[in-house]
Amino acid sequence: MDWFTIYLPIAGIHFNVLVLLLIGFTVGVCGGFFGIGGAWIVTPALNIFGFPMPYAIGTDLAHMGGKSIVSTMRHGKFGNVDLKLGVSMILGTTVGMELGATLVMALERAGLAESYIRTAYIIFLTAIGSYVLYDYIQHTRRQRVLVAQPGGAAPTESFAQRLQRVHIPPMIHCRASGVTCSLWLPVLVGLTTGIVAAVLGVGGGFIRMPALIYLVGCPTAVAVGTDLFEVMITGAYGAFTYGVKGRVELLAAIWMLFGAAAGAQLGTVAVKYVRGYSIRLLFAVTIFIACASVIFKQLGWQFVSSVTILTAGVAISSVILWWLVRGVRDERRARRSSSELGF
Amino acid sequence: MNEQGIRATAGWRRAARAVGVVAGVVQAHVLSAAPAKPATKLVNVADTRDMVPGLGRWLADVYNENLWWYGAIVVVTMVVMGVGLGLVVDRLVGLLGIDLGKLKHHE
Repeated sequence: MDWFTIYLPIAGIHFNVLVLLLIGFTVGVCGGFFGIGGAWIVTPALNIFGFPMPYAIGTDLAHMGGKSIVSTMRHGKFGNVDLKLGVSMILGTTVGMELGATLVMALERAGLAESYIRTAYIIFLTAIGSYVLYDYIQHTRRQRVLVAQPGGAAPTESFAQRLQRVHIPPMIHCRASGVTCSLWLPVLVGLTTGIVAAVLGVGGGFIRMPALIYLVGCPTAVAVGTDLFEVMITGAYGAFTYGVKGRVELLAAIWMLFGAAAGAQLGTVAVKYVRGYSIRLLFAVTIFIACASVIFKQLGWQFVSSVTILTAGVAISSVILWWLVRGVRDERRARRSSSELGF
Repeated sequence: MNEQGIRATAGWRRAARAVGVVAGVVQAHVLSAAPAKPATKLVNVADTRDMVPGLGRWLADVYNENLWWYGAIVVVTMVVMGVGLGLVVDRLVGLLGIDLGKLKHHE
């Protein structure tokens, strides 16, 4: 195993290259599938294997930028990246993050930062996971009613559809998502998610993805692709700012990116074979596990917290890869039988 | 007390005085070293003493010399690698026979 150990001069440690490849691959699969950066998996994973925390954060942000390029390119070819929507949200997110940072400073001066932010993080994760799970259960019930009574009652208007009907110029039509709405809708959604992300100290992918679905009305796959476009921009900015502060171990980021590129491609392609609501269900499970990990950390069980999130990352990426394998196998069977039938 | 005892006692008193003086000097030195304000942040330096010439050594040298230049190299490397690896793995996945055309969205 010493053959795979390299010296990382900037972090000042020796590290196993296979571990870097595995971490990169795991978070690449999850990131490409859910449209998230995955910092909450990578940072504790690097730290538990000996990376100093400031370097873990900076190195993760650097590799996240590169990994998100891989995913965004693939999602773009699938037609899942809505550039107009993504750029509108970035405008809001940038301002939101600055406001969020200012709010954190104010809380810090009042001596309330630690307790409020800690509580807010757990509340947000629980709320997001619960709502996504509730939405999945409601959808399953509606499908059962439709099967039992075809042509039954028409579906009710969603909250996002109501927001889309608010007419404040300029109005925009986003082709990839099929959404027509006021420009202020994605800007305000970006602003809100930016504030929340800055206050919680996270990248915000796990907030923006459900926000795109439930507040803007994007189809799930387009929410995933468009969110990755934003993660790409914020990752590149984070890479530069942490690089200039001397907190990026570039050699580690390069090795992680090799693993992440393969994982991100596979995770992105898996979206093709999974229905939107199944993505949402697995996303809700992931959020609940992340919430449990944060609670363990707040209780001072740092090791348990890191092991929980690492194990969950490997398990969830295994589920995604299984869906991919099954989908490819079914697609090939369908193609073979249609060629046998002469189509 | 006989003469020997008097000399021994005087010797111990001289020794005690000497120890007291030294202790005083050491204490003063320690107290003056205690920071009156927080220490300034140390500059991080990559240790290249045992590194052989190569990519790692070059990156560490850039890191030690100019962090702005290092930050630029980080971004350019990640972007170039992201685009390059994206094209390569896209081709490799295509070789698996998967249809990589536009998706129809199924909720």
